[in-house]
Amino acid sequence: MTRLPTALLLAAVMLLGMAVGNPVHAAAPPDDAEGEDTGLSLLRRAAVAARTRGYTGTQYVTAWGRSGSFSLVLEVRNVPGQGLTVHAQPSGRVERVDPGTPAGNMAAPSEAMLEVLARNYRVVQAGGGRVCGRPARLVRVLRPDDTLAARYWLDESGGPVLRRELLDGGGRVVHAGAFVDLTLDPARGDASPSRAAPPTPSPAAGGLDLAEVPRLFVGGWRFPGVLPGRLELFTAHAASAGYLHLGYSDGLSVVSVFIQPGVLDEERLRGWHPQRRGGHTIWMRDSAGQETIWASGGHVYTVFADAPADMVDAVVAALPHEPAPGLWTRLGRGAHRLLSWVNPFG
Amino acid sequence: MSHLGERASALVDGELNHHERDRALSHLAFCAACRAEVDAVRALKNRLRSLDGPAMPADLTMSLLRMAEPGGPLPPRERPFPSSRTFGGAPIPSMYSVAPPDNRPSGRAGGPRRARRAGYVAVGVASAAVAIGTLFVAGGSEPAPRVVPPVDMFANQHRNTAPYGGPAKPAFSPTP
Repeated sequence: MTRLPTALLLAAVMLLGMAVGNPVHAAAPPDDAEGEDTGLSLLRRAAVAARTRGYTGTQYVTAWGRSGSFSLVLEVRNVPGQGLTVHAQPSGRVERVDPGTPAGNMAAPSEAMLEVLARNYRVVQAGGGRVCGRPARLVRVLRPDDTLAARYWLDESGGPVLRRELLDGGGRVVHAGAFVDLTLDPARGDASPSRAAPPTPSPAAGGLDLAEVPRLFVGGWRFPGVLPGRLELFTAHAASAGYLHLGYSDGLSVVSVFIQPGVLDEERLRGWHPQRRGGHTIWMRDSAGQETIWASGGHVYTVFADAPADMVDAVVAALPHEPAPGLWTRLGRGAHRLLSWVNPFG
Repeated sequence: MSHLGERASALVDGELNHHERDRALSHLAFCAACRAEVDAVRALKNRLRSLDGPAMPADLTMSLLRMAEPGGPLPPRERPFPSSRTFGGAPIPSMYSVAPPDNRPSGRAGGPRRARRAGYVAVGVASAAVAIGTLFVAGGSEPAPRVVPPVDMFANQHRNTAPYGGPAKPAFSPTP
């Protein structure tokens, strides 16, 4: 993703905002049923449509990170059974992605992820509106303290998510993705029960991928099951390359933690700049994603996140930040090792 | 100027600076008392300077020489006037019961003992250094590789991670 000049970016966001219709005006007042997850079924239907309906369109995605905002335009084409193809501009990269991933703009979250979303937030309908000329239903995702965490504009005729916004704890939009134009495949029709294409066969409607966790703990890996911001561990894998991949999500955001044994070779970090956080040094770079690297206790941690900056900061602070061992620690460790070497029962 | 007082001795010893000496000499020109005192001091010092040094007793010289020879420790010092008077079992101090401090050397071979003690200290310090060095080396971190995270690969893996992978259930609600 290329960083655009601020003026150009603001102009583009304003134009695109006008093109998709003013979501503020499109949002109707919350209905009386906000006490229940009245919007969950709409999200579920849009998630299924993002996989099963054919469509072509243009999206823009803007993310506000620690160091500014980043935007890109995506030309997307979804062919049921073949997948979602994304052509990103200005990078020019073309790739086929899963619509349930950050690369697919989280257009089709799994059933298990929707359940996690409903467990951590209240998902309520909040009226309707229009986005890129199409009638839409607005769904608001609220935190337990009733602050707004996300907004979804869902195609009223059974199409995918038309616009999606994530907000941080201060009410600022930190991620927005919306269709500028969308053409639904007429041959597929809407997602009514009688005409919808069957869902992609799957042994399960999503779920935890934590089968390796016991073996990882036996192997000496230590990692938390939950992180600040109601982030729950959903996957843990030790790669053959020698690193550990952990995935956390709260139903909205996705945080990946990569742990490598070793010490960080800071001299070879190109494009990253150090920052002091809570007495520790972390490395960050200017990008759309929240990206952080640091070293702790003989391991190197790398965090990628599609999440608000305040949530990422809390996550980084919650993970280990062990300083280099002091003299007494080292002497004590040496004594322990010597004793273990000479202990015939050890 | 007042009388010379203690400066009379300094004048005789030549310890006054030029200014003080000039003032002292000018005072002596018209002060007979100070002049007499200076003369007396000068005569006394000349007399002391002419005396021979005290002769060292032969037995003292021999006993000092024997102290330099190797040998056992000195016997405990005996009180010249042991306290024999007691009251209720407790000794009564008398004018001779408090012995003067024993300033004699604790052994006859002070030089070699000092050297031996220094050797012990050196060996102890060296042993401690070796022990601490061993603990320091043994307690060092395992040889860990220096790594740079494969950021592009990690980013790609993150972007293509489907949380709680699997599609959503086709649960349909009536189209509004």
